[in-house]
Amino acid sequence: MARDPKHDILFEPIKIGPKVMKNRFYQVPHCNGFGSEKPFSQAYFRALKAEGGFAGVSTEYCSISPESDDTHRVSARIWDDGDIKNLSLMCDMLHEHDALAACELWYGGPHAPNMETRCVARGPSQIPSDFEFLTYAIEADKDDIRHLQNLYVAAAKRARTAGFDIVYVYGSHSYLPQQFLTPYYNHRTDEYGGSFENRARFWRETIEMVKEAVGDDCAICVRMSTDMFMGEAGTQLKRDCLPFVELCDDLVDVWDINLSGIAEWGEDATPSRFYPQGRALPWQAAVKAISKKPVLGVGRWTNPDLMAEAINDGKLDIIATCRPSTSDPFLPKKIDEGRLDDIRECIGCNVCISRWEIGGPPLICTQNATAGEEYRRGWHPERFTKAKNADNDVLVVGAGPAGMECAMILGKRGMRRVHLVEAQDDMGGTMRWIPQLPGLGEWARIVNYRKIQIDKLKNIEFIPNTKLSAKDVAEYGAEIVIVATGSYWSTDGLNGATHATIEGADASLAWQATPDQIMGEGKELAGDSVVVFDNDGYYTGVSIAEKLALEGKKVTLMTPLGTIAPYMHFTLEAPNQHRTLHRLGVEIVPYHLPSRVEEGVVVATHVYDEEGHEKSFAADGVVWVAQRRSNEALFRELKDSIGLDQLKVEGVDSLYRIGDCEAPRLTADAVFSGHRLAREIDSADPSLPLPFKRERRMVDDASVASEKAEYAALYAEASLA
Amino acid sequence: MKTVVCIKQVLQLGDEVEFTDDGLDVDPDYLDPALNEWDSFATEEALQLRERLGGEVVLVTCGSKASEAALRRCLAMGADRAIRIEGVDRDPFSVARALAEVVSAENADLVLCGVQSSDAVQAATGTALAELLDLPRAAVVTKVDYDAGARTAVVDRELEGGLVDRVEIDTPAVLTIQTGINEPRYANLRAIKQAEQVEIDVRNAAGGGAPAYRVRKMFVPDRGEGAEMIDGSPAEIAARIASIVKERLV
Repeated sequence: MARDPKHDILFEPIKIGPKVMKNRFYQVPHCNGFGSEKPFSQAYFRALKAEGGFAGVSTEYCSISPESDDTHRVSARIWDDGDIKNLSLMCDMLHEHDALAACELWYGGPHAPNMETRCVARGPSQIPSDFEFLTYAIEADKDDIRHLQNLYVAAAKRARTAGFDIVYVYGSHSYLPQQFLTPYYNHRTDEYGGSFENRARFWRETIEMVKEAVGDDCAICVRMSTDMFMGEAGTQLKRDCLPFVELCDDLVDVWDINLSGIAEWGEDATPSRFYPQGRALPWQAAVKAISKKPVLGVGRWTNPDLMAEAINDGKLDIIATCRPSTSDPFLPKKIDEGRLDDIRECIGCNVCISRWEIGGPPLICTQNATAGEEYRRGWHPERFTKAKNADNDVLVVGAGPAGMECAMILGKRGMRRVHLVEAQDDMGGTMRWIPQLPGLGEWARIVNYRKIQIDKLKNIEFIPNTKLSAKDVAEYGAEIVIVATGSYWSTDGLNGATHATIEGADASLAWQATPDQIMGEGKELAGDSVVVFDNDGYYTGVSIAEKLALEGKKVTLMTPLGTIAPYMHFTLEAPNQHRTLHRLGVEIVPYHLPSRVEEGVVVATHVYDEEGHEKSFAADGVVWVAQRRSNEALFRELKDSIGLDQLKVEGVDSLYRIGDCEAPRLTADAVFSGHRLAREIDSADPSLPLPFKRERRMVDDASVASEKAEYAALYAEASLA
Repeated sequence: MKTVVCIKQVLQLGDEVEFTDDGLDVDPDYLDPALNEWDSFATEEALQLRERLGGEVVLVTCGSKASEAALRRCLAMGADRAIRIEGVDRDPFSVARALAEVVSAENADLVLCGVQSSDAVQAATGTALAELLDLPRAAVVTKVDYDAGARTAVVDRELEGGLVDRVEIDTPAVLTIQTGINEPRYANLRAIKQAEQVEIDVRNAAGGGAPAYRVRKMFVPDRGEGAEMIDGSPAEIAARIASIVKERLV
């Protein structure tokens, strides 16, 4: 198919400083957990986006000095020749696809905990981080300021040596240059603090120095947050940012414009729960209106019509994406080829970001199970090998996210016939009702994308309204049987805090319910008040509470945890979810665990009260968001009652289970589980994941000998006891 | 109780279409074969009659070897045997003549067809077949209540506007079956594999007789003129639409 002419504008080249981007698609800096110390994972992850049509691709934040070490979170680092070498691999692979490589030079100031390097960062004022615990910076004197600026220059030169085409002087998310610009961070009274000119001085000088050093060879990009939503204290568009653009427009080759500080950077990486795509456009357009240079900006762009509109309306020059480029690295190519219904649209769940916030693990993606697996498992999101056992027929029982993903990938791997059998009248499983929770409408993309793909694959047949018994499965005629029957919320209060049920908990009663019953079955609780008990800690409990409050109930949200929905802190949804619940008058009761319930009352104790004083909470109804359990009855019957031997007699050679049916988990992990099995359906034992490549230093005899010799000498030399 | 079900393997268009060089047909590369949707309901109805009254379900189709896929699909659902007639033109008269020859020899108690095929959308074959067999026929049937003793059937016919026409019809008869009359059963993989092994009775059409029509040209019609593209904000667009509706209503 051909590109729609209305999207042509997205494929026009654009000059940025000494470089030309071949189209308008750009992957802004975003983390992936690889940094510069897993160079192959890093390079393959980024290069796939270039292969998918992105004309510019950046590193994540890239530390310019050991003084700015974000451990436990993973950044790139460009400290020495080794980092240059490691990052040059990424540059080379991007260049193979005619994409520009960008490096986001980063210095954290008080936000850098320096847990690995044990250095101390410098910053504009000595105020501890609003993002980290116990992290202070040295209040920089003039020498320190010169030192900091020289760090940027040296790092920019190393970036040029590595092969980067674009070098950032990164301020957004409350990092060093923007700290100087922002009164909240900058309490100085010298020429680097106070007036706008003084607050802008550090950044302007640094840009000048970096431009002077590498500007002939590299485009200079400045990433600036144009509103921190902190009132007078934070950076403001009209007071600070537009004047800064006017001040530095001559030095800057491209502006990367976004929003927020670091403590609430969900205002930048916006969850779909709270913001639609293109949220930052008014701020980006304001910069574009006064700048002579190209402006790029994020907006969780997945809709090419809106992208083209943003450019045609003169609000942006370059469509910058991070999450949508992870969800679908081939977003540009699919738009170019007019394959819009093949786009795997980002759902804005921010589970990718949660992994950075947790610190350490590689990113994952709910929509794209191959994200982060490009190198270590060798998975290409758009290419598949024909399975060696493709002459088999497969039965997948259950069309939730895991079952749909597994069937889809088995279809793409050319299995002879794949039957996806579902008890309900359509695909989706619990993901049919999850998008009906307040704000989660875009999550329906998980189901919609897969439905469209499954419909296109002629070797997959979807069979709705069919609940198979174990006997039906055994006699179905499939050589491979995959059980994907999902999970359910416990109905008896069984929970991960006490590892026990709760006295009186029984969701079969009219005044008690589980999320499955409320959302999947439409169960309504009588009365005006309800206690929602949440020990899950992610979106379900707070969303049910929000829904019931929106329906007019007086809601008490009780949790044994210290805060509600702690995982939503990692997905950046927490602050606005707290605001929403507060606005709706939901009473939050942390650190409390129901000891028993009876109609009309929940009796609870404080989890740290050793004497167990009971407190009564009047409630007409109770919702249990306690824990989930696998729907494993079918699997157990097949394996234990019928048995693998008898299944073999019936022609079933292999029996697997995937997703929540194995163990309840994040949707991203359930989808991964289905994908993993399909990718490895022809391995020696598909029930066990194949080992993945680990990027680590390997000990060999030569290095052992040389290291031991070096350290023996080192310790011997230190002779003072 | 013997029921004959006349089925068709239809050719479905995808998103894009190209025509053959002579301009008389769609390029086969742009077509996907499938069992005509209506025919799966007709087959299910026949299977349910067999379950209630015993007997046999016989499938008949006109088409090349490739169209056996549709027959095997219905065999997998549970039909007893299948006949394929080769060398038949695609127009409904030619198909009805070929079917009539085979069906009349079967001496069926009921003959079921789909209301129409999704590719040609003529809704003519069933009616033409009834004429050639000299049997009564009821079209667009949404319920069949067959009385084997009385050799009659009371059937509901779907009319416009949600109306139902309930008629009694003498059997043997030809009924054209509407979608939604039942819930067609799925075929499991074992049944599909078994159906692959069934031998299909292949006949040759006697031929002769005039076709209902000849294809002169197949094409995508020119795009009409006069469409107004409305730009603006959602509110502006809504206002423009409202004013157009008002203008046209006057």
